[in-house]
Amino acid sequence: MPIVHNGAVTSCVFFAVSGNSYSAGTFISSTVGVPALTHSFCKQNNPAVQTMDPSEVEFLAEKEMVKIIPNFSLDKIYLIGGDLGPFNPGLPVDVPVWLALNLKQRQKCRIVPPEWMDVEKLEEIRELERKEDAFTPVPSPYYMELTKLLLNHASDNIPKADEIRTLVKDIWDTRIAKLRLSADSFISQQEAHAKLDNLTLMEINTTRTFLLDSLNCMYKLRSNLQPGSNKGKALDY
Amino acid sequence: MDSQAYLPVPPGVGMEENFFSLDDILLSHERLSCRTECAFPRLGFLEKSGDTRDIAEGTKMELPLWLAKGLYERKRRVVSVEVPKVYREGWRTVFSADPTVVDLQKMGPYYYGLGSQMLHFDSPENPDVAQSLLQTFIGRFRRTMDSSQNAYNEDTSVLVERLDCLERALFRSGQSGLNGFQSWEKGRASHLTASTLVLNYRKRKMADTQP
Amino acid sequence: MSDVLSDDGSDIHQDDSLEEVMTPAELIAKLEEAWLNEKFSPELLENKSEVVECVMEQLTHMEANLQRVKKGDVKVSVHRMEMDRIRFVLSSYLRSRLQKIEKFFPHVLEKEKSRAEGDPSLLSPEEYAFAKEYLANTETYLKAVALKHMPPNLQSVDMLKAVPEPCLDSFVFLRVKERQDNILVEPETDEQREYVVDLEEGSQHLMRYRTIAPLVSSGAVQLI
Repeated sequence: MPIVHNGAVTSCVFFAVSGNSYSAGTFISSTVGVPALTHSFCKQNNPAVQTMDPSEVEFLAEKEMVKIIPNFSLDKIYLIGGDLGPFNPGLPVDVPVWLALNLKQRQKCRIVPPEWMDVEKLEEIRELERKEDAFTPVPSPYYMELTKLLLNHASDNIPKADEIRTLVKDIWDTRIAKLRLSADSFISQQEAHAKLDNLTLMEINTTRTFLLDSLNCMYKLRSNLQPGSNKGKALDY
Repeated sequence: MDSQAYLPVPPGVGMEENFFSLDDILLSHERLSCRTECAFPRLGFLEKSGDTRDIAEGTKMELPLWLAKGLYERKRRVVSVEVPKVYREGWRTVFSADPTVVDLQKMGPYYYGLGSQMLHFDSPENPDVAQSLLQTFIGRFRRTMDSSQNAYNEDTSVLVERLDCLERALFRSGQSGLNGFQSWEKGRASHLTASTLVLNYRKRKMADTQP
Repeated sequence: MSDVLSDDGSDIHQDDSLEEVMTPAELIAKLEEAWLNEKFSPELLENKSEVVECVMEQLTHMEANLQRVKKGDVKVSVHRMEMDRIRFVLSSYLRSRLQKIEKFFPHVLEKEKSRAEGDPSLLSPEEYAFAKEYLANTETYLKAVALKHMPPNLQSVDMLKAVPEPCLDSFVFLRVKERQDNILVEPETDEQREYVVDLEEGSQHLMRYRTIAPLVSSGAVQLI
């Protein structure tokens, strides 16, 4: 019996609770500087789709702004990507994470953790994430990357660092479990479209290759159902 | 990090094939039971069992997929091809009951690929075969996904044992995503390794400068 | 001394080759967009030579400025870090294009051949030279190792048929930058019906590349 199927409102868990949109083009580097410059040359493990390395996602996260309290003074810096500063000892100032981490490593500043990097707030988020079937809005589109970067390089500036690490990991695990559930329902319902607001780039990235390769295979198996579509094409190389 | 000197060509799942894909080349060597529908004069030497000059009409022989496909014509019957057991109704019932129990490595190993290729040969069962391939894939997807996304740093040979070649490739994609993330999380991604290309180039340069 | 660095690259404003006047920050954002789009689209996108050239100009300009600053200035290291990051994106972008050219070379060249006069080229002149050379080298290689040992009638390989085409039916992840109404979603199975979706600004989706390919070119959506 034919089922009228409207993929826009499906059982798919991808469907978002509320629209929490990221500013487009919020961006990241590994601890200091840039990911492996050579890695694309030696990495071609995936023929079916283009991929992104987690370190590149981290690179994008390093463009996020974070507050620091410098212990030096310096005039405004006119970077290609925008102006920073001026820097005055003891006065908070916003800088991208890549610079914050560099200054921190040179002991030139203290990093003020983002507001959401707080045990109580994260506990709330974790409970909500566990309660809801859909993906709840995350405090930052790069919550995972920022947690790793800041905790690894500035844990002395972040109260209850270990608890925060565990909480964020819990949130991540819950979300990844949902992501798999969604992926399975997307495949089994043979959906053509899913809305996936609130999903972060790093989350997408961990299942990207697998999900897209699977969808490709399924597409080809499905095209078998249309007889005559490709017939004879393969014979004449 | 993987270092591969060339871009591997993925198998062309479905009716098409990829010329340079090693999987597709192996797939094209899968043997099919065929029956000659006309006599093949002076080709008797191909039939090792007999010592006749010709291959008579109605001889049963096993042909590789590429040859069967080459000889098969829809208008003029030259050979007829028998559908392998695993695609016939009996097995299709098994698959529709529970696709996850079947050992596709044993039954395949190119279950999806060969099944798709069988659609080149006319048969009233073709639509059912195509449908069964798709539903089997969907039915086994969850298991392939879970095993590939949960196994970190462990021996995966048991997990892939019963997977068809295509599913194994997907398993590897899933693993590469997981491993990439895990090693990033543990901070291993920040250790840079030079491309083998660069290393070899340096070596060569060194060799060149030596008298 | 600090005013050598205060030039935020305003010479870009005189560059007429870009349609709109862009600040250097917007230019970098454009490069990053192009980078991600190229990374995630199944086919080779139109080249962004203008963006690449402008970014190179910015880098050269900044490099020249830094030469004039006295050694040990803290600012220099910050500028260098930023430049390294931009260079990384730039080379990763160019590299992912080269990878696609290597993967789809016969199709890329075919598209270039059938391009109507006046249409923008998919390839930069350098990329075009690379693709042609890659094709020639592949053919020479195949000939040397295998084909010349074949019977004469089997000595050619049609690259267009032998090398897989980009699969435009691949799914992609995307984020909407400019709202789009009534995007038609083709059904996946016979039981489904086609339907339309509205892509709201800021929303994220998973769908077939073919459906939204024009929106990637126009910049209305960003692949993620």
